[in-house]
Amino acid sequence: MIELVAQTFVNGINIGALYGLVAVGLSLTFGVMKILNIAHGEFLMVGGYFGFWLFTLLGLDPLYGLPLVAVAVFLLGAGFYKLVFSGLARLHEETKVKNSLLVGFGLFLIFPQISRMLWTSDEQAITPAYSGGSFPILGVRCGYVPLCALVMAVVIILGLHLLLTKTYFGKSIRGTTENWKSAKLMGINVERTYLITFALGTALAGIAGVLVAMTQTISPDIGMSWTLKALIVVVLAGIGSVGGAFFAGIILGVVEAVSAIFIGPYTVALGLVIFLLILMFRPQGLFGKA
Amino acid sequence: MLEVKSINVYHGDLQALWDVSLFVNERELVSLIGANGAGKTTIVETISGLLTPRAGSVTLDGVRLDQMPTHKVVKMGICLAPEEKGIFTGMTVLENLELGAFVPESRRIRNGTFQFVYDLFPVLEERKKQTAGTLSGGEQQMLAIGRALMSKPKLLLLDEPSLGLAPIIVKSIFGVIKQINETGVGVLLVEQNVAAALGLANRAYIVENGRIAGSGDAKGLLDDEKIRDAYLGTG
Amino acid sequence: MTTAKRLLINAGIIVLLILMPLIIKRSDIITWFYLTLLYIISSHSWNIIGGFAGQQNLGHAAFFGAGALAARYIWLHFGLPLPLALLGGAVVATAFAMIIGFPAFRLKGIYFVIGTLVLAEILRLVFDTILPRADVMPMSLLATYSLVSRYYVTLLFAVLTVGVVYWISRSRLGLGLMSLREDEEAAEASGVNTRKYKLVAFAVSTFIAGLAGGLYAYYGVAIKPGGVFEPVWTFDAVIIVFVGGVGTIVGPIIGSVFFVLLQQFLSVYLPGGIHVAVFGVLFIIVVLFLPGGLIELVTRLRGNFARGGQTN
Repeated sequence: MIELVAQTFVNGINIGALYGLVAVGLSLTFGVMKILNIAHGEFLMVGGYFGFWLFTLLGLDPLYGLPLVAVAVFLLGAGFYKLVFSGLARLHEETKVKNSLLVGFGLFLIFPQISRMLWTSDEQAITPAYSGGSFPILGVRCGYVPLCALVMAVVIILGLHLLLTKTYFGKSIRGTTENWKSAKLMGINVERTYLITFALGTALAGIAGVLVAMTQTISPDIGMSWTLKALIVVVLAGIGSVGGAFFAGIILGVVEAVSAIFIGPYTVALGLVIFLLILMFRPQGLFGKA
Repeated sequence: MLEVKSINVYHGDLQALWDVSLFVNERELVSLIGANGAGKTTIVETISGLLTPRAGSVTLDGVRLDQMPTHKVVKMGICLAPEEKGIFTGMTVLENLELGAFVPESRRIRNGTFQFVYDLFPVLEERKKQTAGTLSGGEQQMLAIGRALMSKPKLLLLDEPSLGLAPIIVKSIFGVIKQINETGVGVLLVEQNVAAALGLANRAYIVENGRIAGSGDAKGLLDDEKIRDAYLGTG
Repeated sequence: MTTAKRLLINAGIIVLLILMPLIIKRSDIITWFYLTLLYIISSHSWNIIGGFAGQQNLGHAAFFGAGALAARYIWLHFGLPLPLALLGGAVVATAFAMIIGFPAFRLKGIYFVIGTLVLAEILRLVFDTILPRADVMPMSLLATYSLVSRYYVTLLFAVLTVGVVYWISRSRLGLGLMSLREDEEAAEASGVNTRKYKLVAFAVSTFIAGLAGGLYAYYGVAIKPGGVFEPVWTFDAVIIVFVGGVGTIVGPIIGSVFFVLLQQFLSVYLPGGIHVAVFGVLFIIVVLFLPGGLIELVTRLRGNFARGGQTN
């Protein structure tokens, strides 16, 4: 019995780390420029497929392919930002948020179709040689791949944390988040900061995509459900809490894993229900400021 | 050094400034005085690049600034400490100051500048690891000014530094502003506290309803009867 | 255009639509018309809340679906006559909306948008799990299935819907909604009871959405319960309203025609679901550059013609 619970926990943490990674990207983007990118999950999907390509066409182990995917999705995100979102950045906040939702929604219509053309509707996965293996820790089975994914996720989040707290650029992002007018007055190029932050957010999603392709499967339509997952986690953590988003992701992962034992197939709806409840009764989330 | 020529500035579709001209020479301390809503903040926001005039020009040492985005204006050497202070309340005092020196040229020499700012405002050094949001009003104002100084500006724009502060703190801050000016930094001071502003400045401009209604030597204005009636009547 | 002229044109169009199935016997064309009419109803219902009131309700599918399922069950499984079923479906949709309406409208702006989207998703997932198998019409009804009668019923409701939206746009409710769309705080300050207006708009919108759902339930031979909650029902309506012209009367009508035509045309020439991607691109272009949709485009072109005819 204890083993079941422990195993469930481990599974929950593994998937939760992915939730957290995706959520952090979304939180960053929304926090800095108040643009909610509904197409965030699409970048995850694309990243996963890029990793898949690197693996199947070049035989590149996904863990080595990660930096390449990160760069590729970063550039893709930057491109799309320049193309469709940058015009919005200057708008009055309410209109900006509404329009960015609509634009993201337009992208949500486009991405899956293009990906269907390139990669077919079949589910794909990245399965390096060590895929099935696992080793036991205290009676709990830890798969190599999920463990790698977890470690990667943690490393990346730590890296992001260091970026935001120790580097000038990271601090300029935090400053811009708090008060873009003051940021401008410090000589910070706010437009460029928006661009880079957006691209960074999508790159994080892309990285998560590769990890998802390794631990689960990907298909052209998974974008929206991951965007929603990210949203749930962001709201659970509290808008504005970038670091909290990672922990909230893990919490959600564990909660889902444990609930699956009791409510089985309805678990998918659980996260969404939590989301609505938080919005209505504790809008500042677990870690956010009211 | 700074020359503003006949600018017309709009907030959206509403005109806020009509044909405003002024200048600030090197090392001068010039004040903009006028009632609430007269347009003083609009003037300094335009100079710092947050607003773009529809007509007229703003030049610094002959280089036109009015079409430049704010971050470039800062690079050119003008820094504004805005009316709402605008400090990053979630970050520490030190981080705020660090960001003040964001511009690469200032960043390189920031250690020296830190010392300069700490000498002017010792309390900032004491509280450098503290979160800016926990500072008192006066300390936050000091941080706003200190942060603006971190970019080593040729011209410092101060918008209502005395706002909401106790007279004794205002006195000390104004003393520091004088010190800053004496180190060679030009200052354009927007103030509602006319007496204090005129006591500090070399020259002043009177802003009324989006226009320059008068200007002159600070001492001269202080003695001027009309000014006394209009602005110093209720002290 | 004078009111009399306009009325004549509208009446003429309606007469043509009534006569259409008598002249054209091809069932695929009748289906196109039917779909267009259904989309007019669905998109206009969204237009009320999303266009006039400016509250982008991305959970439209939740109410469409609720109406569809309720109507279907009342009609097929309880055996009640169609009008009652349609009414029942619409009422269920509205009741559902009112239950979540109170807490939902406490959510401001973007939270409302996301919240409604999430709600529809929850419903879809739940119904997909509880009732995974499609609900099929019994043989007896299949034998007497008449596309034409479905067309006429939908035509009736489409005309009624446009009429209702037209009436709203001229009423105090409509003006109140538009003022709160422009600036909710200002509207509140000038005495508009924004909360009440939003709820009324929401109620009307979801009632008609539920009706549209019911009409779809009447039309569909086999319907997967989870399927009527799919985001596509929301998105189609939103796209149509935006591309046609948000907050206008004619906009969603033009949009629906354009949508169905484009959909049919593109799906012949382009593989898979590429037409969806095309709509995505169009949609983005509209949002960024042509917020008034096709209506704005037409107005601008007309303006250019007029100017072109004058000497400077």
